[in-house]
Amino acid sequence: MYLVSPPILLLLVALVGGSWSAWRARAQGAAPAVRQRAQLLALLGAVSAAAGALVLLAPLNFCPFELDGDGNANRLNVMLGVFILLGGAFLAHRVVSSLVGRWLRGEALPGATETRTGLFSGPGSTLLALLCLAPTLTILTLFLYYPMFDTFQLSTQLARLGAPRTRFVCMRNFNQLLGDPDYGRTVLISFFLAAFIVMFSLAFSLLIAQMAYRPITGGRFYRALLVWPYALSPVIAGIIFELLFHNTAGVLNHVLDSTFGFKVPWLLDPTIAPWTVVVASTWNILGFCILFYIAGLQNVPNDLLEAAAIDGASAIQRFFRITFPLLSPITFFLVVTTTTYAFFDTYGLIDFLTAGGPVESTTTMMYEVFEVGVVARNLGSAAARSLLLFGIVIGVTILQFRFSRGRVMYGS
Amino acid sequence: MEEKLGLPYAAAPVTPRRRRLPKRWYAHVILITAIIITGFPVYYAVVVATQSNTQVFNYQLTPSTYLERNWDLVIHERQLPRYMLNSVIVALVMTTGKAVLSLLAGMAFVFFRIPGKWLIFGFVLITLMMPTEVMAIALFRLVGVELQWGGYDAMIVPFIASATGSFLFRQHFASIPGELSEAAQIDGANPLQFLWYVLIPISWNAIAALFVIQFLYAWNQYLWPLMVIHETTLKPVQLGLRSLRSGTETGDSFGPLMLGAVLASIPPLVVFLALQKQFMSGFALTRDK
Amino acid sequence: MRKTFLVLTLLLLAGLTLLTPVQAQGCSADAPCEIDALIGFTDHRLDWAVERAVEFGEMFPQYVVNIESFSDYEPLLDSYILSQEQGNPPEIMQLFEVGTQFAIDSGYFKPASDIIAGRDEVLGQPVDFDDIIPVVSSYYTIGGDWSSVAWNTSTPILYANLNILGEAGIMDLPMTWQAVEAACEQLQPMVDAGSIAGCIVWPNHGWFYEQWLAQQNTELVNNGNGREGRPTQVLLSSEASLNIVQWHKDMYEKGYYAYSGKQRDWSGAVQAFNSQQLPFIMTSSASAGGIMRNAAENGVEVGTSNMVYDEEVGWTGNILGGATMWITDGLEPEIEEGAMAFLLFFSNTENSASWHQTSGYVPVRNSSVALLEEQGWYEENPNFLTASIQLGESQVTIATQGAIFGTFVETRNIITQAIEDAMLTGGDVAEIMAAAEEEANVLLEEYNLLYVDE
Repeated sequence: MYLVSPPILLLLVALVGGSWSAWRARAQGAAPAVRQRAQLLALLGAVSAAAGALVLLAPLNFCPFELDGDGNANRLNVMLGVFILLGGAFLAHRVVSSLVGRWLRGEALPGATETRTGLFSGPGSTLLALLCLAPTLTILTLFLYYPMFDTFQLSTQLARLGAPRTRFVCMRNFNQLLGDPDYGRTVLISFFLAAFIVMFSLAFSLLIAQMAYRPITGGRFYRALLVWPYALSPVIAGIIFELLFHNTAGVLNHVLDSTFGFKVPWLLDPTIAPWTVVVASTWNILGFCILFYIAGLQNVPNDLLEAAAIDGASAIQRFFRITFPLLSPITFFLVVTTTTYAFFDTYGLIDFLTAGGPVESTTTMMYEVFEVGVVARNLGSAAARSLLLFGIVIGVTILQFRFSRGRVMYGS
Repeated sequence: MEEKLGLPYAAAPVTPRRRRLPKRWYAHVILITAIIITGFPVYYAVVVATQSNTQVFNYQLTPSTYLERNWDLVIHERQLPRYMLNSVIVALVMTTGKAVLSLLAGMAFVFFRIPGKWLIFGFVLITLMMPTEVMAIALFRLVGVELQWGGYDAMIVPFIASATGSFLFRQHFASIPGELSEAAQIDGANPLQFLWYVLIPISWNAIAALFVIQFLYAWNQYLWPLMVIHETTLKPVQLGLRSLRSGTETGDSFGPLMLGAVLASIPPLVVFLALQKQFMSGFALTRDK
Repeated sequence: MRKTFLVLTLLLLAGLTLLTPVQAQGCSADAPCEIDALIGFTDHRLDWAVERAVEFGEMFPQYVVNIESFSDYEPLLDSYILSQEQGNPPEIMQLFEVGTQFAIDSGYFKPASDIIAGRDEVLGQPVDFDDIIPVVSSYYTIGGDWSSVAWNTSTPILYANLNILGEAGIMDLPMTWQAVEAACEQLQPMVDAGSIAGCIVWPNHGWFYEQWLAQQNTELVNNGNGREGRPTQVLLSSEASLNIVQWHKDMYEKGYYAYSGKQRDWSGAVQAFNSQQLPFIMTSSASAGGIMRNAAENGVEVGTSNMVYDEEVGWTGNILGGATMWITDGLEPEIEEGAMAFLLFFSNTENSASWHQTSGYVPVRNSSVALLEEQGWYEENPNFLTASIQLGESQVTIATQGAIFGTFVETRNIITQAIEDAMLTGGDVAEIMAAAEEEANVLLEEYNLLYVDE
């Protein structure tokens, strides 16, 4: 038994998709041609939205909307179901209507016209091109797209590595996470670490690059000595910082204790340990950022800065009005890269430095996926965590792109 | 303000740049501090690599005489050279494979007419947003459980295609004027000859950039080998370092671990320092692009 | 540059082909069969195992036993399961006691009794399981059958640095929680003066909790601790359970318990004790070998005593800890024979005795104990007897036999985490344990859904 039966659900979605398309098309005017087009768009919108929802929900047998034995619906399940329904509908609707819209407006489909000259066009050239692409496409399909699909599939299962059977559990793996304060904390920690790692590494690297890029006595020497820690792996950063911050053998506490008379529980206190991870990660990635900032700063035209100086702009004004805006493509690139680093590559560092502790205060989403999937062998829950992490990272990336649009200058 | 600034400009014959800026003592201070802060952890790691545990626990900041003993443990008993060799093989094969596949893909994207090219390109580009790490569990089910791989194959094959690389070369080739491929065709070169004799020779910087990034990526891999490699003799170095780590209740643990960490950092450092210049120009970021 | 590039690629491909292992047919001295054995040690205990493997190879040149080492039992188990799923499992694995039920359910292993099939020797290595000490056979045999071959057995004991205690004027080793607290109070001035870093350390590990539960004669799971039927409930909210966690928390909050901030930090704890930062450590008897050797090198006098218990509740007994050796199912018969012969050799009378002397693990054979007594070992090394006495004097109850259930490994981690939460977050012990209990029960329920036939 369903809370709402699947055909009705699909009809509802189709209705919403259709009217949305119609409304958007109407807004363009009332000419007969436009009206006709609107009818077509509305129809396509309805069909595509329903199809999008169906593609995602059919494999699940619409289970989020199923009633349990007592005839009750699980509220979290239904919410997740609605989310999947709307998500699938929205994506399909968006793709179809944008393509159809282009076609109706008589515009070319993206990439349909080649503006390049000198294309190879001999007999069999298309075949050759496809052959050139085949290895890349095969590998990506097999080892990225398929596991992605499998992760979706797994996330609806109760599955343990090596267990003789699996069970379909619908949204249970997600339900457990959404109601779990520990999971919320893990998400917060991941964001906390990412935010500070990105902020610190960018701020310090820009400051240092600002000092080092200009002709300065020993500049080459400085630059060489500042950049190389980037070549050290996160694991090695974790190993070295564990030595520095160790509770009994740590030299840092020894120095603090002998000069200032206090020690910091770097790895022991759940409120301090995340900062320790931030420090180690920042150290690890700083060189990479410095490298790109120095290159970027060397590209800032000197005449512009000089002109500003002549106009009476102070060094700080020059930096914020000219240098920083000109660096924005690099800043944007570095924000994206360091965010990825913070979310994923810190795994090795954390594993050696804190092993996710104390009190899980440095357990990031990525760390937890491994802990749950491999150490606790709970594949279904790990898959659900993977998907949520994936969704979050996609969300963050899209936000970064949105935010950067119009703010990032890509030069001439 | 303007007058004040204007005068010395007119008076002095040296480049305006030098004079305009004040003495940069503060820059030196900041840079030296930065170097000490970034350098100290590694300096200390090198020092500890020569110490016994008792010395580590006594916070000795100068090198000691235990290097030979630690060296013996790391090199002979714990097979670090074997782990490093594994990493070198995996990193070189993976990097080379990525370069080759990306070159081919980049060429196909730019110099050919393919129906639905934008769709294929989108298919590749979207994978930039799909980090393998997120799918590690499912990837293990495929590579480990279904395909039953557990060696170099498992470490290399799933990663041998690169969206980054395909994208990089596509961008790079797109900036090449069409006359070049026209001329090549007039000379009767087939596409592969064109790739070999024309594209690759003018793409060394981009190749080097990809090489550095992917070499470091391959060398730093940890999570995936942790799941998929279980033969001691096949472990890459990041995994091998685990065997040097604590666990030893009695023997010295910090010295050998630090020695291992320092040794394991040498190959990527060499690659990075050797190709730094090409790396930067490959990204078309330096002044002389 | 282009040529070098090409040559390099070709060389690499050639190298790859050469490095691919060639499968051998049959076992002979010329082409010996490889037997991989996973062991959870990385120190002198690993060296001991490697030496035995070499000796075995000399006796049986048709086999080569490769010992692969892991820093702990958990990663060892993870690695084994992954390699099983990859279709290339090692022949032998060392599995800690809590994995027993899982190992049986997994179907990965062939029971030792099935391999031996009633023989009294395998390749000339005698089988004499009646010689195994009772505490071990009662834990590991199910219906009189051995699933695995007994090897390392331990129990936690208290080690004390008598030099430091002497300075503080402490003459008697504490045997109870209350006595430890009193001693720590007396040592506090030395901690304040910075001459020692703390009073007592033990690894934060569920094993210690389980021991204290047994001492208070309390079960960990229902259905007779899992020995009368599949358990359905994990019992973490019992009075005894809360008592343990509360004491742990109190010890930490008073600054007596020195926590490294890392769970399961066995080596960190021992290193802190060995570098004379703390006067007390409570850890496995298996660390006796290393600790005593370190003490001798550094002129430290070390004494041992039983694992401290709550005086107010009293002491029923301790559970054994340690691990046994399991043989993978589905091996070639010749390799299976070799693996079994190796394990019988590995745990024979002489080797069990020498293993005890090296590590401090309890000798698992009566004949080994007799041999050691004959050599006067215990008179010279009284600290090595403490563990045997503790296990020998334990009453056999359902609680001290130890629990058996499929999610014991995961549950142990949940308990370890809960104790850390109680110490470091300052939360309410009852609430923390209730949440941990719920988590453990969900896992158990899920496990039963996937493994247990209805």
